[in-house]
Formats: sequence, C-alpha cells, structure tokens
Amino acid sequence: MKTYWDIVGDGGSNVAAQVGAQTARLRGRMAHVRRKVAVVSGKGGVGKSTLTANLAAALAMEGLRIGVLDADLNGPSMAKLLGVRGRSLKAGPDGILPPEGPMGIKVVSMDLLLASDKTPVAWHGPAQQESFMWRGMMEVNTLREFLADTAWGELDLLLADLPPGTDRISHLTGLLPDLTGCLVVTVPSEVSHLIVKKAVSAVRDARWAPTLGLVENMGGFTCKHCGASEAMFPGGDTRAMAAAMGMPFLGSIDFDPRLAAASDRGVPFVLSHPDTPAAEALARIARTILGWVEAV
Amino acid sequence: MKFLCVSCDTQMKLEETTGPVEGSLSVTFACPSCAHRIALLTNPWETQLVRGLDVKIGGRSSPAEPWEFVRTMLAARREGTLEGSGDVATGEEGSTASTELSSRAQAEGLGAGPRCPFSAVANRSAEAASLLTWDPAAEQRLERVPDFIRPMARQGIERFAAERGFTRITEEVIDEVRGTLGF
Repeated sequence: MKTYWDIVGDGGSNVAAQVGAQTARLRGRMAHVRRKVAVVSGKGGVGKSTLTANLAAALAMEGLRIGVLDADLNGPSMAKLLGVRGRSLKAGPDGILPPEGPMGIKVVSMDLLLASDKTPVAWHGPAQQESFMWRGMMEVNTLREFLADTAWGELDLLLADLPPGTDRISHLTGLLPDLTGCLVVTVPSEVSHLIVKKAVSAVRDARWAPTLGLVENMGGFTCKHCGASEAMFPGGDTRAMAAAMGMPFLGSIDFDPRLAAASDRGVPFVLSHPDTPAAEALARIARTILGWVEAV
Repeated sequence: MKFLCVSCDTQMKLEETTGPVEGSLSVTFACPSCAHRIALLTNPWETQLVRGLDVKIGGRSSPAEPWEFVRTMLAARREGTLEGSGDVATGEEGSTASTELSSRAQAEGLGAGPRCPFSAVANRSAEAASLLTWDPAAEQRLERVPDFIRPMARQGIERFAAERGFTRITEEVIDEVRGTLGF
C-alpha cells in the first residue's frame, strides 16, 4: 500500500498551493523592505514599544523611510504612541494603506481595528474556552496579512515591536526569515535580566536572526529639583549582561516622566524633547541602527 | 492530508466540499479507479483549524482581499475600519446592520457583519443548493429519514436537484433520487 510520501499532489484540496501563494505574496511584499528589525525583550513593561516608536522617529528624521509593525496583537500600543489611533484605514489598489504618523512613519496595529478602548482581541470560533487550541493560528495569519497585504511601499526599515514572552518569536521566524536582527531591551534589574536572557536564547535557538545589541531602558533618573542622578533599579549590570551574552551594549536611556507624557500624547519624545539626555541616548542608538541599514 | 483507496492503491480525488453547516465541513473524495466515495466530516474544532490556515478546501474562486482574514475572523471590530468599502463593525453592541464588504467578498461568503465564523472555508459548491425550496410534502418525506442521517440525505437530495437545475424539491424529485442513488 502506498504511503503518504508515495503520493504526489494533494488530490485537489489545494491547501498546499494556497499556503504557497500566501508565502509568495509575503515574500514579494517584503522584497521592497531593505532591513527588518524586531524589538524583543521577553519581559513586559521594559519599554519596548516606547523605544520602537522613538527609534522610528529618530530614524525617520535621518531621512529613512520607516514602517512599524505592532506585533503585539493583544496589547497593541504603537498606534497610540505614534499618534494614529482612531484613523481609518484605506484600501488601495496594492493593499491596505497604512496610516502615517510623524515624519511619515507607516503604522500597522491591531488597535486600528478594535471596536473600542475596552475591546479585547477575540476571534470567531467554536468556543472561546478552547481558543488556546487555535488562537496561535489566528494570530500568525493576522501578522502575515499585516505584513503581506499592507501597501508599505518602499521602506528602508521595518521595525516589528514584539509582545512580552517568546511565543511571537516563533510566529515571526516563518514570516520574516530574512530578518536583519533583533534589538533586545531590558531594564537594569535582575528580574528583567533573568527573563531577557531566555528571550535571547529563544531567538538564538530558533536560528532566526542575530541579536544586534542590548538596550537598557530606565537606566537612571535625574531629579528635576536637585539634578542628582540615581539608578532606577539597583543591582542589575546590563553592560555586563550584554558582554556575557556576546552582544553589543547599545546604550542606556534614563527615565524621564516627560517621555511618558509625550507617549500618551502620541508624540515621539525624540521630536518633542530632542535636547534631553533620554532623547540624546535614543538618537545615539538610532545612529547605530542607521549604520546597519546603510551597510546593505 | 491525502486519501488513498486501499482496494485500488490509488489516490482519491477531491470531488466536492460543502458547508460548513453547524461548524462541520463535508469533503467528499472519490477513487478515480473504482469510483468508491468517502466523506470527511469535520467537527467544529477541526473546521476552525482549517479556517486558521486561511485556506479553502478545493481552492479559492478569487484572490483573497487585503486583510480579509483578520477582518472576517475578528469577533468585534470598529465601524468604518476601511473607508469606502461599506465596512461595518462586527459583534459590538449597537453596531449598525451588516452591509457587504464588497461584491467579491460577498461572492466568497465574506460579508463583514455578524456571520457564521466558518463560512468561506469550503468552496461554493453548496451555493446552488441553498437556493432550492422544498415542498411541504417533500419535507414530510424527509422527516421520515432517521435523525442521524437526515442532514446527509437532505444534502444529497439538494445536490442532486441542483445538478439538474431544479429550483424546487418535490416528492417526485425524491423518488428520482431514490431511483438513481438507491436509497
């Protein structure tokens, strides 16, 4: 009796051909993007999205054509951070036209589709109680559509803001196999370092893309009254962690309450407060990334 | 997934897909050598897995629209997400009545409003059958078929009628089905 491998073709179900067509469409779209960088951490609350939004703005100021994919489908924030929340999407002849934030940054986020502030992402399905069985497939196909069906145009850099955890890394490895690399973010606490190390290992174990460097967010805090600088988190030595993990330390960004306020207004801090230490640190990291892009 | 006719050691070919009906797809395969037919019947979770792949068993009749999957599968979506497409919200209280996403999406069973979550998994072979009307007497005859097999019998009769261009199912049509298919 024949085995599965003895039989050529799928008997007409056409499933493999459709999946192949999806992949071809994605590859065709991504061929117009020079560099793709994922911003990862593994740890929640370290400022990945804020960093992504500000790096996007800083690089757009350098003249790069930037797109931002909010890969955090269940906690999307890029639309808010880049001031495009509530904008309508338009269908063009070549796909969905993404709304443009400051400096022409193109943004795609699940937030643009959700019904209200309090609406969580929920999918049609046979029973929500068992959604854990199929939710991952819904999410990976949504990301595929966001990448493949959006009229990104020609981009110098696509930044993908990943959610906490390591699940999305496996989702994106198939979608963006030619990723330039991962930018890793942590805060200087031992708890954060513990989790971020796992994410770095997950990226490396997946043999997906190089870890381009480690960014320390909320490294210090400068008192606006006395000007004294203090560490936000005692204990964690991020520079040593970068060395131990074999990746460049790209810099430390001080905590600044004005950064949080600018984020809430949808204005990148590097544009509204370019002369602050935090914005200058962001700009330095952006110039490093610019070097990667221009090395193509 | 592939199907093999064990008797002939020959790959079976997809003949027809129908549904989903109550979350179940019916996919019929036939052996090109001996004409033996089998049906793959999925449960709602298996149907959802097929849907999660964003494919249609048997192939698409037209290319997918941009973001079709997410717009179709998201349970509650903002009204007017897409300008100029007649796009409306789904699933949120107070949302407006459903209008169609576009003529092509409509043809694919992809209207944007509240809808069966499994539509568009199968191709449109069942579309003609859904346009048929049943005479009350024919419905009564069908009621005499045991419960567990009635949906399949209804499907078989409708398919038979649709293939012959009937628009109404009468007792005579049922008799003809019985004569042809032997049940």
